[in-house]
Amino acid sequence: MAIQGLGTIDYAERARDSDYKKRLNKVMTEKEAVETFLHDGDSFCMGGFVMWRQPQSIMREIARQGKKNLSIIDESGDFDGIDLLVELGLVDRIDIAYMLTRQVGGISGTPAVERGLKEGVPRPVEAGGVMATPKDKIEPGAPPVKIVDWTNFEVSLRFIAGAFNVPFMPCRSSLGADIPEYNKEIKTINDPYENKPLLLIPAYKPDVAFISVQKADRRGNGQIWGFKGTDYWKARAAKHVVLLTEELVSTEKIHENPGLTVMPAYCTDAVVHLPFNCLPTGCYGHYLGDLLSFVSFLLQRQSREGALEWIDEWVYGLKDHFEYCDKLGWEKIDRLAKSEHKLNRIPG
Amino acid sequence: MGHLYTTREQYAPEQLKEMKDKYRPPELVCCIGSREVEDREVVFVGIGISDLAGAIAKLVHTPNAILVAEAGYIGFPSVAVLVSPADNSAGAMAMCHQSLPEVFIDQQAGFIDAAYLGFAQMDKYGNVNVSYITGPQIRMNGSGGGGDIASSAGRVVYTVEFNPRQWVEKVDYMTEPGFLDGSPDARKRVNLVGGGPSSVVTERGVFRFAPETHELFLAEVFPWQDEADIEDIKQSFPWDLKVAGELKIIEPPTERELWALGLMDPTGQYVIANIMDRPLGKIIAEGKFNLEGYNTFLELSDRAIREVLDFVS
Repeated sequence: MAIQGLGTIDYAERARDSDYKKRLNKVMTEKEAVETFLHDGDSFCMGGFVMWRQPQSIMREIARQGKKNLSIIDESGDFDGIDLLVELGLVDRIDIAYMLTRQVGGISGTPAVERGLKEGVPRPVEAGGVMATPKDKIEPGAPPVKIVDWTNFEVSLRFIAGAFNVPFMPCRSSLGADIPEYNKEIKTINDPYENKPLLLIPAYKPDVAFISVQKADRRGNGQIWGFKGTDYWKARAAKHVVLLTEELVSTEKIHENPGLTVMPAYCTDAVVHLPFNCLPTGCYGHYLGDLLSFVSFLLQRQSREGALEWIDEWVYGLKDHFEYCDKLGWEKIDRLAKSEHKLNRIPG
Repeated sequence: MGHLYTTREQYAPEQLKEMKDKYRPPELVCCIGSREVEDREVVFVGIGISDLAGAIAKLVHTPNAILVAEAGYIGFPSVAVLVSPADNSAGAMAMCHQSLPEVFIDQQAGFIDAAYLGFAQMDKYGNVNVSYITGPQIRMNGSGGGGDIASSAGRVVYTVEFNPRQWVEKVDYMTEPGFLDGSPDARKRVNLVGGGPSSVVTERGVFRFAPETHELFLAEVFPWQDEADIEDIKQSFPWDLKVAGELKIIEPPTERELWALGLMDPTGQYVIANIMDRPLGKIIAEGKFNLEGYNTFLELSDRAIREVLDFVS
């Protein structure tokens, strides 16, 4: 079977896709960006890392637009965003290293995935070739959500290979362990130079990368402050790159600190100016994560009924991210920003 | 290393009983775990308990250790317990902001001397499962960076609360390679470059791995653990657990270690077991989703960070 996300990009293909990448003004709304670049059956990845700089508003927009048969690849990032799309039955496959399951206190970080595995609702789950929803719980014809296991580094290497435009990267993680036993897309070889075992991690070129950044200009130069995650590689591996930026700045501002630019304009297809788009996760230097919302949302989402109610209230019930901020309350958002500013010694 | 040992004879029986009830399990794990690294070592920290041990070490025992957090923050004085490896508290005073793959590349090239991790299941040879329990079918969090760290870090210190169910003859799924089948060159044979697990720190003693056989054995216990307690520990294992001929007696947490722990985790995020009993959980339970609730919660974390910043700067 063909391995998803593999394949060499030829230059003609890049040129065909590049209409957006060559534009001088890439600014559009979040709604337009999802409509334009993400289609049913597509694969995508998100920037950021656990609880920080995760493009969470885009997951709510994808849910609103009901894009389906999606494949998601990520290291350990947006488990509750993925879970939202799983709850709505929109996801076919998840390639991932870490998804928070049951925590101390009995709260699950991925209630829909867990429910799928146990009860087949919203969809049955096949996890890592190790376990699956019991057959008697599966509605006839219900297509399963397939979860494929990797380590963090291995997922990163998939993007790196994709960015290198080569079919694989070699790796020393998991040698002798079970991930390569169950995940047959990883190959173990004796390397041709030293004749010793090595894992080969296949490339992944997602259709779209959604990446939150602190600053971007209209041309799509994106700047990141703080940890970079794997965003440099995601922006180069993906066919289309959508930046969600806290601040839309002039190109002159970008020139002031070129060392912060992680995505030069040629990577980028669209720039969405969307302050606080990472909420309820945090954005380094801009705002702290909203743990009160994060935990209480998850509490609501533990049951199928609770989750659907929550989705009605916080996703379907809102037109866009600005309505999310209005509903949450700007004074709380301002308070989260103040805490982050204090830590980074930003006055005001 | 910063190991501190004592003797049972130093304490009167009633003193031992008092000490036994004094500490909560995570306090023992974090404080004793902090003694497992040396000054100037490069130390990969995890989150929660597997961050706190490294954080205490940095504040108390090993001021020149370089802490590394997975998301790409390097060389930070720990100012608050990490809930995520991407937490701002690691970034705000770091000497380097880089990326996730760069951290793992550096690790695969031998820059990381020691790493702290937790686990759900472990076998006799230190192989670890954090992915799947197949008895009653449970999908756990998965590798994250654990599989990479166990493969390539110089050595791995596991810090966990003791649970009889975590010891198994054979792990249901080997997420993190330990000494594999235990044979002398097992790791070398499959071309793993990291040194493998070095110790398992729990509130019921420290376990290490025998040099030749790579078999887990009980190496150190706390002064209040008597023969009956050690027998009870042995009964928790599905194999015949070996116990060191001369068990070392661990010096209980020092005032300084406990002070550092309190500083890192003032709201008891990792000492209070149930999330709903922590300050955040209480605010949620009271339904305080207004500005007052946010102020209460954020004041706590702001104040804690301010205190540590005063100390480290």
